[in-house]
Amino acid sequence: MGEILKKYKWMGPIIDAMDRDVKRLFMKNFRMRDKNFFPEGEYKADIKNLVNCMLCPNMCRFDCGTLQAEQKETMSPAYKARIGYYLTIGKIDPSKEENKAFIDLMYKCSNEESCKIWCPFEFSVVSLLETVRDDLNDKGLMPDYCKEQIDKLKKTNTIEDHNIYETYKEKGIENIETDGNDEVYYYIGCESMKFPEVVKANIELLKKAGVRFSTNLETKVCCGGPAFNIRDLETAKDFANRNKDLIEKTGANVVVSDCPGCVVTLTSRYQKAGIEIGTKVIHIVEYIKQLIDEGKLKFEKNVSDEFSKITIHDPCLIARNLNDTTSIRAILNKIPGLEISEPMYNKDSVHCCGWSGTAHWADRSLAIKEAKNRVNELKETGSNVFLSACPLCELGLAYGLSEGDKENIKIIDIAELLIKAL
Amino acid sequence: MNIENFELIYKDSRVIIKDKPKIKLRLGEIVGNENVSDNEIDILAYNKDTTLITLNWTLEGKIAALPDFIVWPETPEQISSILKLANEEKIPVIPFSEGSGVVGGAIPIYGGIILDMKKFNKILEINDKDLTVTVEAGTNGMNLERYLNAKGYTGGHIPQSLYTSSVGGWIAHRAAGQFSSKYGKTEDMVMGMELVLPKGDVIKFKTIARASTGPQLDKLFIGNEGTLGIVTKATLKIWPYPEKRAFISYAFPTFEDSLEATRQILRQQIYPAVIRIYDADETYRHFGHIEKAKDSVMVVFVCEGIERLVDLEATITRETCEKNNGIECGEEPVEHWFETRFRVTETSSTPTFKMVADTIEIGFLWDKAAEMYHSVVEAAKNVKGVIMITAHVSHFYPNGVGFYFTFAGIPPQEKSDFQFYQEVWNTIVKAVEDAGGSFGHHHGVGINRSKWMPVEWGKAFDTLKAIKNLLDPNNILNPGKIYESPWEKGGEN
Repeated sequence: MGEILKKYKWMGPIIDAMDRDVKRLFMKNFRMRDKNFFPEGEYKADIKNLVNCMLCPNMCRFDCGTLQAEQKETMSPAYKARIGYYLTIGKIDPSKEENKAFIDLMYKCSNEESCKIWCPFEFSVVSLLETVRDDLNDKGLMPDYCKEQIDKLKKTNTIEDHNIYETYKEKGIENIETDGNDEVYYYIGCESMKFPEVVKANIELLKKAGVRFSTNLETKVCCGGPAFNIRDLETAKDFANRNKDLIEKTGANVVVSDCPGCVVTLTSRYQKAGIEIGTKVIHIVEYIKQLIDEGKLKFEKNVSDEFSKITIHDPCLIARNLNDTTSIRAILNKIPGLEISEPMYNKDSVHCCGWSGTAHWADRSLAIKEAKNRVNELKETGSNVFLSACPLCELGLAYGLSEGDKENIKIIDIAELLIKAL
Repeated sequence: MNIENFELIYKDSRVIIKDKPKIKLRLGEIVGNENVSDNEIDILAYNKDTTLITLNWTLEGKIAALPDFIVWPETPEQISSILKLANEEKIPVIPFSEGSGVVGGAIPIYGGIILDMKKFNKILEINDKDLTVTVEAGTNGMNLERYLNAKGYTGGHIPQSLYTSSVGGWIAHRAAGQFSSKYGKTEDMVMGMELVLPKGDVIKFKTIARASTGPQLDKLFIGNEGTLGIVTKATLKIWPYPEKRAFISYAFPTFEDSLEATRQILRQQIYPAVIRIYDADETYRHFGHIEKAKDSVMVVFVCEGIERLVDLEATITRETCEKNNGIECGEEPVEHWFETRFRVTETSSTPTFKMVADTIEIGFLWDKAAEMYHSVVEAAKNVKGVIMITAHVSHFYPNGVGFYFTFAGIPPQEKSDFQFYQEVWNTIVKAVEDAGGSFGHHHGVGINRSKWMPVEWGKAFDTLKAIKNLLDPNNILNPGKIYESPWEKGGEN
């Protein structure tokens, strides 16, 4: 209330000047504000901010990845909030089969959170949509494509239809099991396992720097990030507790992950769910930068011409959630002769690859359109090598390549470039 | 059907489409099935623009109007075919882009086809020597400005709706931005255009700095609000990104002093990009934290461009303010304005208090500008339920100004929010017209002001209507706006 009074201090003289009838009505409306527009009963939806968002003139619309991909008003942030509000108050009945499209809209977000930069209320739209998903889940209305992901997590411990960590042998990835006395736990993301060359490169870099680390692929499970996105918090917490145990067993001083999604999940999302990982968790680019600063890693070789001119695609989770846009650049600046080009939308203004959040499950073609948009932005730099530091980005960008692009453009992880310069 | 759960506001005179499946099929043949929809989820998304009363309705579970179809064309030829079909079937076509209009211009009040221009979103060419950018009309303003900034230019058109509006919307509504004293308004910026006429002809106005080749027909379409044609592409002026900005602010003891100072600045042919006068109420609201602004009228200036010119403009601006009793307040108020100018939160809060609010911008010559301001404030205050009427002056010319009034009120119990809204609008517009001003400066006519077109235009309105009839004999392009008023029954104080 104090905050509201401060914000509306300027209205003091206006209220004083009102005639009695109007003032009475005004004060009644002020008091009844929540009751007037908030639904009765129990719900988890963040009604206050859904209303703030749905009545906003869409101040973030120009930077909303899904809207820019689809180019339909239906995808606009304020409309998503409006539908979230109507689903919550029952104006649109979520239990009716004919309203499935309205429910799906609650999942058509790539979690890039560009909106938060421009939001007059300083929230992200996905943070609101997640609260609507909570209510949908409570009503047993989780969409099938989300249920499929939860089933996969429960059956395979990963977000794949098989336990992707078990494929390490056939992919030639070295597994290092902990002796309980690690310096570092190299925490490999489920999606990173799709890029064995990246994982191998990271292992090579850690070894070269003389780091004592483990990978623990025999017991490794997903961080639970997908369950957090879907808001199946029971499953998410189960994975959080399992990861907490696994991390503690390593005795590591620091958990270093190659997947920004894992870092965000292991830190802020676990914290919000009431689970604290006592160990520091960072993305591997931050760790590599430390190793360089400490003189433990040096890049002395020029990379081949093929990789000598690269374009940086900042993973939005590193740039905006972990607030780190310097590590990648600091590392790349240590590679002799490397020409770095920056796309127009970079650092904390980066546009998403399309493959984060729930959008790629809810509407794959939407996610691909978003990926194509990003590929087109990256192509404008004239460089044919797109460099990132996130398996989901590397996956998403690959979906965004046209047949012609596939012949000319290479998408690489920073680790793959670094081992070429060792 | 969910739509039935919503109260429909504009429900009279809706077009009756006898064979909707056939129309949908034919639209699909034109734009592809993926680019046409009559799904509820899409129909509901296009029921309104950003007209503030529609936000109250949104919260109350009402919808402004219902389109029958949404189409997303990608070429002028597709638009042409859609318009030909609409003429054959006598179906309204309502151009839409970012939906940021605030006078109802994109509300499909009779139903019909919403023609969304979002897919016309390419920035085609920058010509450095000519200082032009050619851009498709659906391009978002901020995305254009960011692109220009990255290449070392500015478009100079920075309205508060920059984030939420499109190039086509600017042209349709003859828009003006916050930096317009230096860079001009939309009509000063457009150098060439491609558009589709109501019967489907695609015409182009060549890009040229100036010509004497008969009447300026292109200007007819700047401000046509999607009633005479649909702009698909435009070539706009651009400028090198300013090398220096000077932030200046002064507090004046009276509104009249502030007007006089700014008038003298313009008279000396000094054009700060931004000039904004806030009346005492708005000064308290926006600059209440600044001690020197207490009980005063705040004016902020931004001079920008090459350094030598900026320095000269800043010097003359300061001298003129001081000659007119201005007290210097430094850069902080301007920095505050820069930080907060896009932080639009009131649109979200006022409806939750069941308040009805809006902004009305009007044009006036210098001679009676202060008098007009006071007469509008007095007239609005006399409407039962109005609790606030304030203004700032946002646009300046050597010959006149653009005022921007903000009103808010609680509808009295005997009136609906819509009746109250119309009453305030009509009262303010009448006061402006009575005082000899122009009822709109840069938001356009739309629905909210069309009732007053005969007053504003006099006999010339007949000519305008004749042109509309010539170009659009079936009245299919954005009907219910400019030439006719669904508000005829709206309250007038």
